[in-house]
Amino acid sequence: MSEETSNGIISEDQAVELLALFVSSAQLLMHEPAHYGPLRLLTATERLSAMMLEKATEETRPFLELAIERIPQMHVQMSDVPAYKAGLEELNAAIGDCLVRRAGLEEGASQ
Amino acid sequence: MSNAVLDAIRKRRVVREMTDEPVTQAQLEQILEAGRWAPTGGNMRQNRFVVVQDEKIKGLIYQVAPGMFQRPPVIILICTDLGVARAHQISDDSLTFPMDVGKAAQNMALAAHSLGLATGPVTSFSQSAVSRILNLPESFVPHMFICLGHAAEVSQFNVRPWQRITWRDLTYYDRFPSDSGGG
Repeated sequence: MSEETSNGIISEDQAVELLALFVSSAQLLMHEPAHYGPLRLLTATERLSAMMLEKATEETRPFLELAIERIPQMHVQMSDVPAYKAGLEELNAAIGDCLVRRAGLEEGASQ
Repeated sequence: MSNAVLDAIRKRRVVREMTDEPVTQAQLEQILEAGRWAPTGGNMRQNRFVVVQDEKIKGLIYQVAPGMFQRPPVIILICTDLGVARAHQISDDSLTFPMDVGKAAQNMALAAHSLGLATGPVTSFSQSAVSRILNLPESFVPHMFICLGHAAEVSQFNVRPWQRITWRDLTYYDRFPSDSGGG
């Protein structure tokens, strides 16, 4: 693992926005359909990606850009299971690549 | 023969991406009046509308409304005033209330559509957080936001039709046959 990056990646205001999303989602999910759970996690991923984008390192940026572009499409693909599943695979492959880049193991990352 | 009401019912859509273009006060008041004319159970008139246009307050609502994807110029919150209902000895959990909210919401959506505006309903929000943010009276129960504005021309939220259905797919006449699983 590379040395910890400490670049003030999000502000306290942005962090509080995410906290509000987490706790309001937790309350709503008590009575919402089960598949809304992953939807809320993806919403949080998209918002955090947008918050991080400006200050993110080059290793992280590709994942953030993909999340911002791809997740809004996935919100309307939940009824299309193969498309939704493909989106999840794409995002997870991308976060895997991101982790590899950040660990300095680029040769193991698929481009 | 064309019928404006039926055309509006057929053509109205939920809009999840809106522009910054403002809604005029005259348009807003026409839409609120359409909500006012929605019927309520027992003609109790317990629906209450809270109009939110302040950018800061809209931003706070957005943060506790995971189902809100729009950033609309106007948000209308439809509430039930339980104080009115209690005066009629109606219990706080009466099903009348969400149904009456739905009727007002549909009236508003159709009125907005007829004025060339777009709407999107949002019920995925924290009622307790919204009550605090808007400092709602204790008797007000927030049920549904109506996001109101102008539709963005290009939307990434165009949901593909799941399956074409007609009213025939949804409708039954008279009594179900004995093999239908009814009691």
